[in-house]
Amino acid sequence: MDFKTFLIDFFTALIIVIKRFFLLIIYPYKTMRKISLEKDYYQLLIISVSVFLYFKFIYFLRDKPYPATLIFIIFFANFLLTTSFFYLLTKKQASFSSFIFTFSYSLFPTLIWFLSTSLLYIFLPPPRTLSLLGKTFSIFFIAFSLSLLIWKLILGYLAVRFSSKQNFLRIFYMIILYLTWFLPYSVLLYYFRFFRIPFI
Amino acid sequence: MTEINLRLKKKLNEVFSIEPNDLGIDFITFYFKKITAYFKTIPFVYVIPFTFLISLVLYLLLGKLLIRLVTILQYGF
Repeated sequence: MDFKTFLIDFFTALIIVIKRFFLLIIYPYKTMRKISLEKDYYQLLIISVSVFLYFKFIYFLRDKPYPATLIFIIFFANFLLTTSFFYLLTKKQASFSSFIFTFSYSLFPTLIWFLSTSLLYIFLPPPRTLSLLGKTFSIFFIAFSLSLLIWKLILGYLAVRFSSKQNFLRIFYMIILYLTWFLPYSVLLYYFRFFRIPFI
Repeated sequence: MTEINLRLKKKLNEVFSIEPNDLGIDFITFYFKKITAYFKTIPFVYVIPFTFLISLVLYLLLGKLLIRLVTILQYGF
């Protein structure tokens, strides 16, 4: 493959990723269904690069940080553990690439929350006060965080639904099972100062 | 005509790639489908007012604690 073909494929994937980012806001169900059938690996590359760039960016904001590459490797391990866990629970009906694609796209709410929190850390550094502005900001921030959390839950559920092709109840049990090991694992990551809030 | 048939077949395969949800009890399945329909298209229309309401209620219930929670979250990146 020559460089020209690579560039064309890369920019096509970039346009698709940007388009799907907006479509996941407007039509999460339909868009996630399409993503579960995706085969273009350049899209994964673009999402991975944007996550890596984010880790590079916060390296300059954190106190006594680990190198961005190490944080990215740990994130990548988390991601593979999560996708493999759900894949292994439903091996017979599912394809692994479908899990990888849908879970990659479900990283958008996480990325937006972490990026906006880092930017707010620069422009409106904590601690928050009990002034009127402080209270108003806090209410807005909680509403913003909850909205992104709900979006994340919708995308996460749809990712498992379209990749595993299981029904709601089975997915619910799978998520409970996932949390039984992921929550202690997140505490471990917090203890070693890799992530204060799990990036997943 | 063949092109249209292929596209239609592809679309049908996509739409019917998963079985409809069945929660075992008819009326629960009915309400589950009613509620989840709101999340399939432009969920933020419902999500944003809901989260504002929740955060306002949380502020009224927790007061200072909510402000401290926001401070902790702001260090969470």
